[in-house]
Amino acid sequence: MPQDTPNPEQPTSPDAPGLTRRDFLRLAGGVVVLFSLGPEARSAVTSTGTDQSAGLGGWLRIGPDSRVTVFTPTPEVGQGLRTSLAQIAADELSLPMSSIDIIMGDTDRVPAQTPADHGSAVATIGPRLRAAAAQARSIIAELAAARWDVDPEAVQVRDGLAAVADDPERSVAIGELARGRRLVRRPSDMTVLEPSGEHRLVGQSVPRVDGPEIVTGTVPFVGDLRLPDMVYAKLLRPPCLDARLVGVDARAAARQSGVVAVVQQGDFVAVVAERPDLAEKALRLVRASWEEPGRPHTSSLYDDMRRSAKLTDRTRHEGDADAALAAAQYGFSATYRTAFVAHAPIEPHGAVAAQEADRIIVHASTQRPFLHRDAVSRAFDLPPERVRVIAAPVGGAFGGKDEGDVSVAAVRLARAVRRPVMLTYSREEEFTWGYFRPAALIDVQCGANGDGDITAWACDAFNCGPRGADPPYAFPNQRVDSYDCDVPLRQGHWRGDGGPANTFAREVHLDHVASELGHDPVGFRLRHLTADERMARVVRTAAEAYGWREARAPTGLGVGFACAADSGAFVAQIAEVEVSRVTGEVRVRRVLTAHDCGLIINPDGLRNQIEGAVIMGLGFTLREAVRYEQGRILSDTFASYAIPTIRDTPALETMLIPNPDRPARGAGTAAIFPIAAAVTNAVFDATGRRLRELPLSPERVRAGMTADDQ
Amino acid sequence: MTETPELLVISVNGVEHRLRTPGSRSLLSVLRGDLALTGAKYGCGNGECGACTVLIDGQAVRSCITPVSLAHNRSVTTIEGLTAEDGLHPVQQAFLDAQAFQCGYCTPGFIMSAIALLNTNPDPSELEIRDALAGQLCRCGVYPRVIEAVQLAAAKMRG
Repeated sequence: MPQDTPNPEQPTSPDAPGLTRRDFLRLAGGVVVLFSLGPEARSAVTSTGTDQSAGLGGWLRIGPDSRVTVFTPTPEVGQGLRTSLAQIAADELSLPMSSIDIIMGDTDRVPAQTPADHGSAVATIGPRLRAAAAQARSIIAELAAARWDVDPEAVQVRDGLAAVADDPERSVAIGELARGRRLVRRPSDMTVLEPSGEHRLVGQSVPRVDGPEIVTGTVPFVGDLRLPDMVYAKLLRPPCLDARLVGVDARAAARQSGVVAVVQQGDFVAVVAERPDLAEKALRLVRASWEEPGRPHTSSLYDDMRRSAKLTDRTRHEGDADAALAAAQYGFSATYRTAFVAHAPIEPHGAVAAQEADRIIVHASTQRPFLHRDAVSRAFDLPPERVRVIAAPVGGAFGGKDEGDVSVAAVRLARAVRRPVMLTYSREEEFTWGYFRPAALIDVQCGANGDGDITAWACDAFNCGPRGADPPYAFPNQRVDSYDCDVPLRQGHWRGDGGPANTFAREVHLDHVASELGHDPVGFRLRHLTADERMARVVRTAAEAYGWREARAPTGLGVGFACAADSGAFVAQIAEVEVSRVTGEVRVRRVLTAHDCGLIINPDGLRNQIEGAVIMGLGFTLREAVRYEQGRILSDTFASYAIPTIRDTPALETMLIPNPDRPARGAGTAAIFPIAAAVTNAVFDATGRRLRELPLSPERVRAGMTADDQ
Repeated sequence: MTETPELLVISVNGVEHRLRTPGSRSLLSVLRGDLALTGAKYGCGNGECGACTVLIDGQAVRSCITPVSLAHNRSVTTIEGLTAEDGLHPVQQAFLDAQAFQCGYCTPGFIMSAIALLNTNPDPSELEIRDALAGQLCRCGVYPRVIEAVQLAAAKMRG
């Protein structure tokens, strides 16, 4: 029979590596199974040096009420993670979805995150959660078997009961077995249990568990929280990036009715008031003078990137690409560019901070509560355990709400006024004071022989990182390098990071080479996908579903193809466009996506993610570019930074390729990789002009059509 | 600078409120701040994203740029006013059936806007749906599902 943990306050290392006393304190009673992340995730842990639980994926608890609670770091950001994890746990424990609670993103209650969680939480956590649930099931069976003195094999665990088949006397609620216990199994205790393999909920389009809250407007986003005595803050922002405050007069603001305080600490100035609109109004009365940094008046972003480049990642080196390029019968070189792109979630950044006794409690809209906690801890020199960050439901993030600035500012104000403070960004602040997807400059060189075989491939990717740069194609000689660069704007994570830029460069260039050599774009890709059967299958599926034909008759319509892989997901896309020869406007009429990400947890949820990725991707493909000048962000409204609307929505067809024997992998991101290339290749098909810079704005398309042959 | 408060009488979700507040304040600020109705969201403050959409006498307005004085002696409906005791409004149910959301932040605005559309056009074409909802932004990209949801709701409401 399983033994209760004798003294849960004592860490039992080395039996439970990385588990601290605090972790145990966080665990309530009942049957608890801890689960770790895989070795690949562990090695990716960037330890803050403070939280020993990093590397744990979470824990699963069966409480005395027979409810199952899963504690796991990554918050829900609209990707359906809460639903997917509940499906997995409910499936393995043969419980209804309604018996599962998921606690996410509360730094007091869940283990620390790892970078590996980013964008693929189902992939990293799902299999371990399933194994932990299997472990919990077996503990329950053992406890029941001990109670009745039968073989554990004879006990069935189903629908919240442990029972001996055909014996109505021997049936007990699983919570009854967990009651009064404090039984903790650690990862190292686990003899690896094969999950049952029975898929009752996994693979089904289970509706989102938070759907009813969403359609009634009752999701508690951070701006909807109302703490007793809470006040609202607005920050004084400089006129441009890197400006220094030289003088401030806030007397008029401080006299306004409803103003609680004007807080000034160095360059940090904020108005705190009883209502957000009063804070905003009073802020307009603050007189400040700023010293703006001298900036060079003319400089080219892309030239500066090249000048400041430092080689940081040798992504792939096979054979001798440079020698093979020099020896190639045909050579094709080109440079591709993408712009800075904003995340532009509809919910701007926000945080609520409160000081409670010697602790700080922060509610924040973020995907990375532990980064916010560590930022607060550093800013105020507090031990991390005295800071609790609770991730609120996130109204869109896309990688843009990682950094803890908003939480630090809210905490600063809560400490200054000794009341809970809500700080939410305006739309202008959201566009200006966050960070951006890096602009990218990518040189691609390709060598080919007269038979249409690529013999060499070299790619130098500036400022976008290596993600998505590794070609799926079996080129005999290849070199892929990426470089960090100095740029004038703050940049950071964005859905898929450099993947969309690297895919744009590769897939447009490949299309260009195919067309120059007189090959069909799909056939040419398949010809070089000899070492990646999974990618080839996705390409064939898309082409067959679309009815792709070589040498289509001209229809006035452009059709383009592209494919990519990311985090174990494989995707091929076909885009149909119309291009106006008069205005240069590109209208995307239809996008077909074929997608293989292994086992599918929730087909409708996956479809939703893929559709969303395509539509979001059309934004940076056609229109989105952050405009800036002398440290000022000029695109700071939805009018000046136009994201896709319902009018831009093409007909979408999404083919989910079943591949249940492969593990479930990241599903929210890969589909955003090829869309820009598919559309750009379709514009070439429609106009005969090869564009190499995003976005494909009407001006750029018009210029392309009037330019000489490239 | 300080504006004189006015006495405003506004019916919100069927409940009459008498408020003494400057009439130039935005309706959104009064709904969220004074009446604790947080279903309508701030997204841009410029009337460009539609997250704050509510109904005044059945018509969709951007509450972030609507002075509260405009609602004086009129009837305001927010998402909180839709849920009857017998369940969800057909448009809410259709959004649920089509799973027409991801993060859900823009959803209340979409639902209110869709209701306003169906109030005047019970059988909209797809193009009319796109035109009516073109000012509602969703960064997660659930637009195809929104179109499906509005079509579902329209069919159900026509009976």
